[in-house]
Amino acid sequence: MFRSTILAVGLLALGCSLAPAFAATPATAPAATQAKAVHVIVLDKMVFGPMPTGVRAGDIIEWVNHDIFEHSATARDGSFDIDLKPGATVRTTAKAGSFPFFCKFHPGMTGTLVAK
Amino acid sequence: MNKSVIALVLTLGLGSLASVHAQQAPAAAPAINDAQIAHIAYTAGAIDVTAAKQALSKSHNKAVRQFAEEMARDHAAVNDQALALAKKLGVTPADNGTSQSLAKGAAAEQTKLAALSGAAYDKAYAENEVAFHKAVLAALDGTLIPSTQNAELKSLLETGSKLFHEHEMHAEHLAASLK
Repeated sequence: MFRSTILAVGLLALGCSLAPAFAATPATAPAATQAKAVHVIVLDKMVFGPMPTGVRAGDIIEWVNHDIFEHSATARDGSFDIDLKPGATVRTTAKAGSFPFFCKFHPGMTGTLVAK
Repeated sequence: MNKSVIALVLTLGLGSLASVHAQQAPAAAPAINDAQIAHIAYTAGAIDVTAAKQALSKSHNKAVRQFAEEMARDHAAVNDQALALAKKLGVTPADNGTSQSLAKGAAAEQTKLAALSGAAYDKAYAENEVAFHKAVLAALDGTLIPSTQNAELKSLLETGSKLFHEHEMHAEHLAASLK
């Protein structure tokens, strides 16, 4: 009985002392995810929009198809093949390197994604 | 042969419009108005969707079927957009001699293609698609887009021109692979 009371008081005290630390965690979490930048590539009127600059490996690439046609972003080296239906938004993770890509339905549509 | 039919119809139809246009003073209104242009562009798209559906019902060639699916999907998308734009602008696409010539030529072509089968059909379809897209592209860039008054319709036709260019290249690759 006495032992369990001490244990309970001890746990409560531990809980109280830890609580501020836990409460502080969410405030620091965004700082950890800020490194994962999101870069948007917009497709419209049969063209891939401007390529993002300053992309780092691990960043998010958001492909947004504003066109009325179905397109794809297909890497020439086969490392990605993203289907983009009209209105679709697809997110991928950038890998380090230079990746020329094209639309497999309309091969005149091209771009090169560069990530460091 | 088959490709000359549609190309000829287009050249004649739009050539006559172009000559009417050329006879007018530079400041005069274009020989064709936006309602007619919208009708011509819609008709060209609808013709290619019909041709694609025929290809999907006749061909067993994987590359031909993929091409036909792309034609049906892309041209239907442009035409849906054209109809929505016409509605928004309160314009009723107006039938005209060029649209009628296009439709008549396409119907004759479809009858010819219907009589073929197998590799002969695939080859004829691909070659006709090359000629059709070339002819429409020439009409879009040479007559239709320069004559269009409404900025939104002009923008849609410019996107259509890029699309026709892509399709023409695809059709050429397809035709070359079937030889």
